[in-house]
Amino acid sequence: MLAASSAAGAPLDARQIVASLAREAPSSIAFTEARFSALLREPLIVSGTLGYLGPGSLERRVTSPYVERTTIRGDSVRIERDGEGARTFGLKRVPELNGFVAAFVGLLAGDATQLEQEFVLSATGDAGSWQIELAPKEARARRRLRSVLVSGHGSEPRCFAVLDTQGGGSVILVGASSVPLDADVALDSLLARCRAE
Amino acid sequence: MKRTPFALFLLALWVVVLVAAGGYAQRHLSVRNDLRLFLPTPATDVERLLLEGIGEGPATRVLVVALEGAPPDQLADASRALGDELRGDEAFLLVANGDFALDSFPDELLPYRFLLSPTLDAHSLDREYLGAALAARARDLESPAGLFLEPWLPRDPTLELLGVLQRWLPTQEPRREFDVWFDRDGTRALLLVETRAPAFDPDAQRAALDRLDAALLGIAGPGVKMTVSGAGAFSALMEARTSVEVQTIGLVDTIGIVVLLLIAYRGIGTVVLGVLPLATAGIAGIAAVSALFGAVHGITLAFGFTLIGVAQDYPIHLLSHRRADRAPQEIARGLWPTLATGVASTCIAYFTFLFSGVLGLEELACFTVVGLAVAGLTSRFVLPAVVASPARDHGDSRWLARLWSTIVRLPRAPSAAFVLIAACVAVVAFAREPLWDNDLRSLTPVPADLLAADQKLRADLGTADLRYLVAVDGADVDAVLVQLEALEPGLETLVARGAIDAYDDAARYLPSAAKQRARQAALPDERSLRAELDAATAATEFRTGVFEPFLADVAKARTLPPLTVDRLRELGLGARVDSLLARDGAKVAALVTFSGVKDLGALRAFAATEPDATLLDLRQASESLVARERERMLVTLAVAAVALVGVIALALRSRARVLRVLAPMAITTLVVVAALRGSGISLTLFHLISLILVAGLGLDYALFFEHAADDPFEQRRTLHAVLVCSISTLFVFALLAASSLPVLRAIGLPVTIGVVSNFFLALYLTTPREAAADPAPP
Repeated sequence: MLAASSAAGAPLDARQIVASLAREAPSSIAFTEARFSALLREPLIVSGTLGYLGPGSLERRVTSPYVERTTIRGDSVRIERDGEGARTFGLKRVPELNGFVAAFVGLLAGDATQLEQEFVLSATGDAGSWQIELAPKEARARRRLRSVLVSGHGSEPRCFAVLDTQGGGSVILVGASSVPLDADVALDSLLARCRAE
Repeated sequence: MKRTPFALFLLALWVVVLVAAGGYAQRHLSVRNDLRLFLPTPATDVERLLLEGIGEGPATRVLVVALEGAPPDQLADASRALGDELRGDEAFLLVANGDFALDSFPDELLPYRFLLSPTLDAHSLDREYLGAALAARARDLESPAGLFLEPWLPRDPTLELLGVLQRWLPTQEPRREFDVWFDRDGTRALLLVETRAPAFDPDAQRAALDRLDAALLGIAGPGVKMTVSGAGAFSALMEARTSVEVQTIGLVDTIGIVVLLLIAYRGIGTVVLGVLPLATAGIAGIAAVSALFGAVHGITLAFGFTLIGVAQDYPIHLLSHRRADRAPQEIARGLWPTLATGVASTCIAYFTFLFSGVLGLEELACFTVVGLAVAGLTSRFVLPAVVASPARDHGDSRWLARLWSTIVRLPRAPSAAFVLIAACVAVVAFAREPLWDNDLRSLTPVPADLLAADQKLRADLGTADLRYLVAVDGADVDAVLVQLEALEPGLETLVARGAIDAYDDAARYLPSAAKQRARQAALPDERSLRAELDAATAATEFRTGVFEPFLADVAKARTLPPLTVDRLRELGLGARVDSLLARDGAKVAALVTFSGVKDLGALRAFAATEPDATLLDLRQASESLVARERERMLVTLAVAAVALVGVIALALRSRARVLRVLAPMAITTLVVVAALRGSGISLTLFHLISLILVAGLGLDYALFFEHAADDPFEQRRTLHAVLVCSISTLFVFALLAASSLPVLRAIGLPVTIGVVSNFFLALYLTTPREAAADPAPP
């Protein structure tokens, strides 16, 4: 892949790709997510829409197989589920979560400078098909979060992968990639599929 | 007249004894600072609770700390750092800033979550409940929170700990920014800090405030400003302000009186001798209080020295009456019946304070009675032996003679006194403000702006309303916990109906042993739990066998001894529970506090239906307490007045003389009350104390004018003495009246008015008329 990008001539700049990802708020996109964990026999798969409501403000609506709404505003995460009281988490107290949210917020704002405060950015591929890796800098975030991988075409992200240090993680397919997944899909095959997109 | 060797020896002995006694008193003096000293002795359980609440109860020990002056994220960091710093400090029982983490719960308490959380009262750990919990955990794992919940799930798949922690959080959460509490505007980070020291121990509160300052200095950026608010902070503040002002006033007083005495007697030696009786009186007073009460309260000393200031008059009478042709001892003997009458009657008036039932007044009575008696006796028996005869006789003074003749020529209309009395009665009767100030806080006054700022902060934090409480009592902690649990359904109904926003009690944090045992009994044994869990797990995406840590905790919880308040205390988590419990001898009382009381009627109805619960209205209790204290005080004053008249009658043995001596004092009392009422001041205990002082002064002036009778020389000497006395007293109390502190003003103002009124009324009503005496100037 690295050879391919060199062959294409232009060295790939992660900052440039991030800048091209900036979205006008509000905007929303369909997603399908698969969550992998050592605690699970098979991955948890949900789908719904991701909304970008402006700098620092995200919304994640799960519509299938259950209904759930997560809103991230500034430093607080609020999760509402049918038949349960809303739960609120503060990000500062949960550095592992903080890194994960910061990655999304930074990507959707197209703000590479903000991302570089918390992550080491690197890019592979070419302008047509690229992948950026965000590796957390802070030790406490690194305890649980290994990296965030984003892959896409041009200015279109297709795939976000959040990988934890225990060999688990979740893969979020967005837009055109957001297709139904097999119940027994494996993390590695899904990651390979993201890279190939 | 030169001093004899004997006089010099006596003087030296006096000074040596005084210095030695002073040194001894200072070394053995244990000064306590407790501003509750002038609060009355409680008679009922409610009142005891009220007074304990004022000093040591949960709410009053809680200080609100506000951090401002930096962006919110920096303030939040400062709040967290300050919280971490203070949690390790002995001076603080509890530090809360909204910051909590799952890992802040001690590991050995974790299995107790099944005994502390109420969730298992309604559910059992069967496959149905576990299945629902696991399905919810799968969704949690899928959510953005999954990343941080994942390591926790094998041990606590039912999230029982969250249930416990939620119960342990304040019932009403303030605004949160960056995970810590902020005020409503989001500009100030707020912390609640509960001090170990009671609120009305200003010294300990000062120490705690210093610790706060030091902790902040160590962690916060330069811009962060801290304000601390609450009863404890106020008591430290008022104590500091009072002692600074009292010191300043004391210094100015001393200089002023020395200057006055120098002008009056023109001899440094005389001035020094003139203050010896007062100094002796002060030391004797301290010694007496120390001996009888074990220690002296700072506030007793401050008031006591103010009240025995009247003893400065005793040597002044002797000094002003001295003449070249008589030995001072002879003069002292001549003055003694008059002086003794004054001293005895004032002492008797203060003596009645001993039966007031207020510790502060009892100490004050002891201090003043001993002090005045000692000052009177030394002025009679010791001072005359050491003081020199003067070159000058004030009886020869021309200007005093002129002044006297002017006074006696003044037109006299006996009806004028009656007009004055009628006017005063009218003012008292028609003043709009209530006659008495029933607010307990007036006895420990704090500036109104500070109180208002404090109330706002507390409202933002949703802290408990301090007026209404429900109390239950029982033989031990566990018994009251059982009673609190019985109240819970009713309390929940009140919350649900919106009668109150929230309530808080010890059972929220610690269930009774019986309840814990019941929950224990409901926990399944390991084998059946495993079967249920496996069945539940099979229906989810979770792997079988990942919840072994959960099984281990439940097995442990089944055999744990019930958690006690002592165990919680050992783990450093007892503060919250302790603050809602009050130990009273063998009994334990528990409090239910409320925030946002919206429907008092519903709260009353609730308390009426619960036989064990008593609804306390602390404001009403405090007002009736103050009113009852005042009634006792008034009875005391009436007894004092009767005793005083009795002493005067015994000494003067003539109805006309008694009337002449008592009239100025009686009318002055009325004038002072009218002046206060006319300027819209409601009367407090401190005003009443001042009135006694005023009466004592008026009595002295009148006695001496009456004593001077028809001898023109004696009249001039008396006029000189009373002028010096009243000017010095006026000076001292006018300074107090101008003070910024309400307590000092409450004493200064009545006495200032009283001295002026006493002086003129004594002159006007007690001195003979023109026809009776028209002395030729010498």
